[in-house]
Amino acid sequence: MASTAMTSNGTRSGMRTALALIAKRLGSAVLTLLLVSMVVFTISSLLPGDAAQETLGQSATPEQVAALRHQLGLDQPAHLRYLNWLGGMLGGNPGQSMVANMPVSEVIADRLPNSLVLAGLTALVAVPLALFIGIFSAMHRGTKLDRGLNIATLSMIAVPEFLVATIAVLIFAVKLRLLPSITLVSEEASWGEFLRSYAMPVMTLAFVVVAQMARMTRAAVIAQLNQPYVEMAMLKGVRPGRIVLTHVLPNAIGPIVNAMALSLSYLLGGAIIVETIFNYPGLASLMVNAVTSRDMPLLQACAMIFCAAYLLLVLIADVVAILANPRLRNQ
Amino acid sequence: MSETAAATRAIRASRWASSLPLSGKIGLALVIFWLLAAIFGPMLAPYPVGAFVAYDVFDGFSAAHWLGSDYLGRDVLSRLLSGARYTVGLALAAAVLASVTGTSLALFAAVSGRWVDEGLSRLMDTLISIPSKIFALVLVAAFGSSLALLLLIAAITYVPGNYRIARALAVNLNEMDYVQVARTRGEGRAYIARSEILPNMIHPMLADFGLRFVFIVLLLSGLSFLGLGVQPPDADLGSLVRENISGLGEGAPAILMPALAIATLTVGVNLLIDALPGRSRRIAGEG
Amino acid sequence: MAGDLPFTRRELLGGAIGAGFAATASGLLLPEAALGQQRPKRGGSIRAATLSSSTADTLDPAKGALSTDYVRHYMFYSGLTQYDRQAAPRPALAESIESRDQTLWRVKLRKGVVFHDGGPLTSADVVWSLLRHKLPGTASKVKTVAEQIAEVKAAGPHEVLIRLTGPNADLPAILAQSHFLILRKGTKDFRTANGTGPYTCAQFKPGVRTVAVRNQNYWKPGRPWLDRIELIGIPDEVSRVNALLSGDVQLIMAVNPRSTKRIMGSRSHNLLETRSGLYTDLIMRQDSLPTGNPHFVLAMKYLLDRELIKRALFRNYATIANDQPIPPGHRYYRADLPQRPHDPDRARYHLQKAGLTGVRLPVFASPAAEGSVDMASVLQEYGSRIGLKLAVNRVPADGYWSTHWMKHPLSFGNTNPRPTADLIFSLFYKSDAAWNESGWKNPRFDRLLLEARGEPDEARRKQLYGEMQGLVHQHCGVGIPVFISSLDGFDRRLKGLSAIPIGGFMGYAFAEHVWWDG
Repeated sequence: MASTAMTSNGTRSGMRTALALIAKRLGSAVLTLLLVSMVVFTISSLLPGDAAQETLGQSATPEQVAALRHQLGLDQPAHLRYLNWLGGMLGGNPGQSMVANMPVSEVIADRLPNSLVLAGLTALVAVPLALFIGIFSAMHRGTKLDRGLNIATLSMIAVPEFLVATIAVLIFAVKLRLLPSITLVSEEASWGEFLRSYAMPVMTLAFVVVAQMARMTRAAVIAQLNQPYVEMAMLKGVRPGRIVLTHVLPNAIGPIVNAMALSLSYLLGGAIIVETIFNYPGLASLMVNAVTSRDMPLLQACAMIFCAAYLLLVLIADVVAILANPRLRNQ
Repeated sequence: MSETAAATRAIRASRWASSLPLSGKIGLALVIFWLLAAIFGPMLAPYPVGAFVAYDVFDGFSAAHWLGSDYLGRDVLSRLLSGARYTVGLALAAAVLASVTGTSLALFAAVSGRWVDEGLSRLMDTLISIPSKIFALVLVAAFGSSLALLLLIAAITYVPGNYRIARALAVNLNEMDYVQVARTRGEGRAYIARSEILPNMIHPMLADFGLRFVFIVLLLSGLSFLGLGVQPPDADLGSLVRENISGLGEGAPAILMPALAIATLTVGVNLLIDALPGRSRRIAGEG
Repeated sequence: MAGDLPFTRRELLGGAIGAGFAATASGLLLPEAALGQQRPKRGGSIRAATLSSSTADTLDPAKGALSTDYVRHYMFYSGLTQYDRQAAPRPALAESIESRDQTLWRVKLRKGVVFHDGGPLTSADVVWSLLRHKLPGTASKVKTVAEQIAEVKAAGPHEVLIRLTGPNADLPAILAQSHFLILRKGTKDFRTANGTGPYTCAQFKPGVRTVAVRNQNYWKPGRPWLDRIELIGIPDEVSRVNALLSGDVQLIMAVNPRSTKRIMGSRSHNLLETRSGLYTDLIMRQDSLPTGNPHFVLAMKYLLDRELIKRALFRNYATIANDQPIPPGHRYYRADLPQRPHDPDRARYHLQKAGLTGVRLPVFASPAAEGSVDMASVLQEYGSRIGLKLAVNRVPADGYWSTHWMKHPLSFGNTNPRPTADLIFSLFYKSDAAWNESGWKNPRFDRLLLEARGEPDEARRKQLYGEMQGLVHQHCGVGIPVFISSLDGFDRRLKGLSAIPIGGFMGYAFAEHVWWDG
């Protein structure tokens, strides 16, 4: 039967399941990180050229390339290079960036906070908005309002990101001069400047993820609303709002939170276009730089971070799902 | 005999079409329009796709060039008609491939034992944690950008996302009473997956398919932003937007028309999916 | 006097500069706008955007690889010589640089020049800075050029002797390049810059920004005028233009011709066009078939619709070229070489003579070589009309130079302007040059090259280079349709900008010439 009330016993067993899940996940997270590093390494070794050639560029003579290659250790066989990197990584040292001649940790420490701030701000705006739109349209499904919102969210997804960003820049930066066209991240910025700088990048990113999350929310909630227990609750006279909050949401929360985790993990790496257009020094453009310059340690480190962030988000999503849905508690 | 059968089918189809709500009709119309454009477009184009026919670049609407000229002085209408098939064809094929693969794997994982589930989930987690645009960029840079490869890459990039959502739904549904009942009845895993779980997942998964389609269209245009994709002089709709981006300040049709094309295509597909009848009945009926 | 260098001769000083220039007592030059119109003002802080910025940004002049590096280096360091508006070398840290035989050069250094850390400039610094290019550990980008330097010796605290391996009349021009800027002897740490340049390095974050602050002890009195310059990189061109138009930056480089309408349409902004020897060329390898066939080469050269490329690809911000690398305006440019026209009929004829009608050929292009993708599309379109099926392979920019450039029978290259004819011919057209793009071998060309390098007589030099241009035009396997102009966009309140044909941003050295009138 569909019992969704959380009893204190249920909560305790939920916590236990959650903790067991977290412990299990840590183990598999390590495995996933390892797999990611191997996949990234393999695919990028298929790329033509290497860091020595890219650094020296058009003006490289074969002797210079060979010398630099030897200096960077690129003339070693692939598996040795990978194991070297792995060994360093396990010891807590992600290595030296081949291009910047700085430790990878320094390069990343410079950019990681930027990506986190952008992702955080976007999540702060997007999640409540998406939940509201999704639940609202699900509750009013079939009405003109729902259809209108549907088309609106569809249109939001349908426009290519760079087009949204460019139009926004044209209107707000060039014509109206309200907002800066590029993000000028500096330590001395005031709160007002900070918000103005982030307004358009956040809006552009939110455009994509809000629509996506809202649609999945709506679909998941509708899938629950069509269940017989909801009809029963309505017959019993429970108000629709209460039905949604206490009966439907806990059941729907699994797929909703999952979709949110996916969308939010996109915010770190998928911000490449926003970072390019707004000149935002984030991790995504750092990773693309690493690909173009074949800077293997930097590339691996970025991949590790994106992977870890995604796993963390998914873990949170699953824990929330377990705590909310009693059926999953005894897995 | 076959004539009447065909006629019956036609009548049924048109009855189904007219039973759709308004949004569904609009969606159907848009989808049919773009399918026709994809198939017949190149034949209907007034100029060859790469011909330099206009003296001025970023021209507005005119009699000679209905949608103006692009950034090199080529006819926008012709390039649009010739480019539609890349977007529609590639995105459709890739989205179908991604959805079918992802959902099948998810169902398999949901009804199979712990290890299969874990293993597949690990694999998918691996792929999904690599940002999709960057992943696609690396793959295209490594393997080239022929049409077949673009299709494969687009599909691979979106299988994990589809898998993840499908698995969450399937696992949820696996715990439902009627599934337990079916299991105690002795039904095989394949039957459970196919007949008990899948039908109840169709609504969200179709919504997801619609989204995948949009994402792949956008991935293709994002790839063109990063300089990869369909080879010149051909261009898919996203590349058309990208290469004419500097016309945005002038409001040139060269960029507005392809953007509108992408929007109507993706919106149309999703409106149609949303309006498909029959699923809500099935979901309500069970339990 | 025979054996004197060009720039010590009065007539060249007077004639080449023309109206609007004045050399001050110390041999400096003032840009045209300064004279008679307005006097430069002190003060002001601007933000300038170049087109790249990555962790590969460097403060080591020897490693400068991109325009953003050159701009940065000219802000913090000075060279022995510097370029004027004709790209001819003028005295800078070197008060004079003379030679009798173009092989042994005597450099007299300016006295009283100090580095940013207060130390004086001496000949030891110059010797060290020049010789380090020959060391493999430096990984200098100009190592091949530095190989022409046999020996550098200090002949006193302010005098340096440079002995070359062979006569080269262009040494002063070579030394004005950003790679040869002078460093303090023994500099190892390039996380900051210690030079004698117009600005000191207040902040350097590779991939993010560089902040330059006025050097109060710059050896050119009164200069520079700006208080502060912040240098950032905006790789996306549309964003770069938007940043200019919205007032977030005041100076941008590498404006795409398609964005010029927007900039010219803005009342507070203007455009600077720099014509130079920048070109993107079609490379037809001479050591592979079918491109090695001379009829095929001629067919492709006649197939190039130069007018269309100039108009459609570059919106007329380009100069028609004649399949050889010396641009009009260069002092050795040969004006009487007949311009090759766009002639599809002759192209078809040559294609038939080559026996290649109906053949399918891939051509490799990339955004790395500016305009090459669109040029390939143009060629493909015309090719289809004469029976040549060209398949355009657009490949990504990264890895292009190492993987595709010169490696396929048909590809595209992109060459930055060089300060001297000798440099461009030696680097790209000599038979055994590493970057001999088409792999052509012409012994007469090589002989002329060596002869012209050490030739002191201007008239004879021009004749030699003229003949070499003819040889390239006729026989070399590269097709050069146009010379591409560099376009910079700027806020009108930024004064003092003018074109120096080395590259955009006044040959990358704008920092000491501009002032803010806001």
